[in-house]
Amino acid sequence: MESGSLAERSRAVTMRWRLWALVPILLLVGTVSLFAASGGSLLDLVGRSPPPADEFDIRRIELEPGEIRIRVTNPQREDLTIATVTVDDAIVPYELDGSATLERLRSATVVVPYDWVEDEPLSVGITSSTGIQTTGDVAAAVATPGPTAEGFLGYALIGFMVGVLPVALGLLWLPSLRRAAPDWLAAFMALTGGLLTFLALDALAEALELQAALPGALGGTGLVLLGVGASYLGLTFVSQRFATAGAGRGGVLGGLALATLVAIGIGLHNLGEGLAIGTSFALGELTLGTFLIIGFMVHNVTEGLGIAAPVAERRGIGVGRLALLALVAGAPTIFGAWIGGYVTNDVLAVLFFAVAAGAALQVVVEVGRYVARRAPGGLTSGYVVGGFLAGIAIMYLTGLLVG
Amino acid sequence: MSNSRTGVTRRQLLVGAAPVVAAAPFAGLAFANGREREASHRGHDRPHAGHAAMIGPEVPAPGGPHDLDALTYPPAALPYEPGRIREYSLVAQDVDVEVALGVTYPAWTYNGTAPGPVIRATEDDLLRVRFANGGSHPHTIHFHGIHPANMDGVFEIVNPGEEFTYEFPARPYGMHLYHCHATPLKKHIHKGLYGAFIIDPREPRPPAQELVMVMNGFDTDGDGENNFYAVNGPAFYYAKHPLRVSRSQTVRIYLANLTEFDLINSFHLHGDFFRYYPTGSTDHFEYTDTVMLCQGERGVIEIDFANTGLFMFHAHQSEFAELGWMGFFDVQD
Repeated sequence: MESGSLAERSRAVTMRWRLWALVPILLLVGTVSLFAASGGSLLDLVGRSPPPADEFDIRRIELEPGEIRIRVTNPQREDLTIATVTVDDAIVPYELDGSATLERLRSATVVVPYDWVEDEPLSVGITSSTGIQTTGDVAAAVATPGPTAEGFLGYALIGFMVGVLPVALGLLWLPSLRRAAPDWLAAFMALTGGLLTFLALDALAEALELQAALPGALGGTGLVLLGVGASYLGLTFVSQRFATAGAGRGGVLGGLALATLVAIGIGLHNLGEGLAIGTSFALGELTLGTFLIIGFMVHNVTEGLGIAAPVAERRGIGVGRLALLALVAGAPTIFGAWIGGYVTNDVLAVLFFAVAAGAALQVVVEVGRYVARRAPGGLTSGYVVGGFLAGIAIMYLTGLLVG
Repeated sequence: MSNSRTGVTRRQLLVGAAPVVAAAPFAGLAFANGREREASHRGHDRPHAGHAAMIGPEVPAPGGPHDLDALTYPPAALPYEPGRIREYSLVAQDVDVEVALGVTYPAWTYNGTAPGPVIRATEDDLLRVRFANGGSHPHTIHFHGIHPANMDGVFEIVNPGEEFTYEFPARPYGMHLYHCHATPLKKHIHKGLYGAFIIDPREPRPPAQELVMVMNGFDTDGDGENNFYAVNGPAFYYAKHPLRVSRSQTVRIYLANLTEFDLINSFHLHGDFFRYYPTGSTDHFEYTDTVMLCQGERGVIEIDFANTGLFMFHAHQSEFAELGWMGFFDVQD
């Protein structure tokens, strides 16, 4: 019985120390309330902090015939009041969809009846009651496409053209790949790794660039890290599930499972790409000409090759399966274009690109592990190194088409 | 300093002036809803005027109908009288002023307004201006005109809490101005320390309906460019409250430019011409409808309106006009 009471006592001790974990939290709450109660007088010791900048965040400028709609957010800690609205340095009458005073992170839409000039630049200014003017620019004024059935279909078509179609075309390389020598197959797998590395870096750069424009209150870099981390670890979890389900041996994914993973990685990247296309188009920042669409198509054909390479060894993969893979990788472009075209949200865009970066990175790791195990000469063979570099080079060169 | 000059009732608010606006060059501002306009092409012959028209109560301008009376209507000219002393008292004050509807600006003022009060004397009056600095920075008053060096408001810096009395004979007759000359000069002027300074000739000018207009601007976000322009302070004030004048008597405007940052400013009258006397110190005049003034330049305008109705006046820099420097005369019989 002594041993029992000993165990009980040790359990009680363990419990007590677990409860101890609450003590720092309680102390923190106490300290914070004390500090708050002091009215910040402690800070006076180091001088007065400067007044807030009182700048608004102009989220979106939409143009309709005879009308400009400006979505404005208050990124500051203090309330901000919209006092004056200017268009091209002229004070204009306007209407608001709510109160002129915006609390932190609250938004309002400013509607300005205005006869804007097509294809000419336009600048809007929102002045706070404290006289601080925030300006937003439209590079070339064109009517913002509304949510019409035609527009919806148009974005879907564009998404299909630059996303699904090229990936499907790339998958048609599969029969040729099947007849390739093991060395060359390894080279194509490495090429997949190379192009995914390119996509990962591309998405990360995009995410970091977009977050830099976000108001500080939205925590840009943290948001990027959160997206990258969540998608990388999430995809790691998925790949582990694939591996234990028997798709791979010894924890290394291969074949269809790896191809699926590659497709998911590419799909997430294409979601971001679609978003970027849709947003730029909707906001008149991009002339979505024929050349650009061709550029994206050429750029994305390689993605199909990347998905085909892992399944090249496997026989008997039905056309249905392949079509599904093409959809997984390509269809997100359509969704991205829809989202970008109609609801543009900078936070969402940052998150999308961060998620894409994390996913692509994870798939690079999986592909690397696969190549390391299966390639005749391992990771350092000339075929693998050459293939990897070729993958990056192809993406770079075709990327110039859409730069 | 009661207003002896006119029996004109300028104390009425203008209503029902919308039709005139259709003819105004800022009509685009007034009702720019293109869709409605398209609709009007189809259905009606008049555009929809439901949006804020740039005249009358709908105009986005701060202030009530009489808020600017003290700055708009100068104290009466006094006939020449040898040995007379004219005394004024100016206090520098840091005041938050509403420079455009809903926009406050931390101004530095003489007596609480930007521009400061109108100072008026007759030539050879002894002018005595007591200046107390109740602001937070050193200031002075620098008068334009003829006076001794130690009355020039350049070397005698008046620190916060201190006082200084400027005393000199008012010379020469004309439209002048005064402003702070403490450094940095640009800051002290654009913050609001300036005003009109009228010296009447010993031989009085013919009777007229007299107005003062000090052209100014406010850079509310400190980027070295004015966000708002106006005369006598708030943007669009005289569009919201048109200046009511009588056609039967000359309208005389004492005009000065104290706009900072911009090289020039201007005054343009619609529908009529006027005589412009540069600096107002001679009989020389120009007959025109537009005058251009650099900073510190000023003059006297005399209008004999040929017609009644609403006549716009504004800077002929369109940008200034659309940022607040625009108003109307309501000419009546």
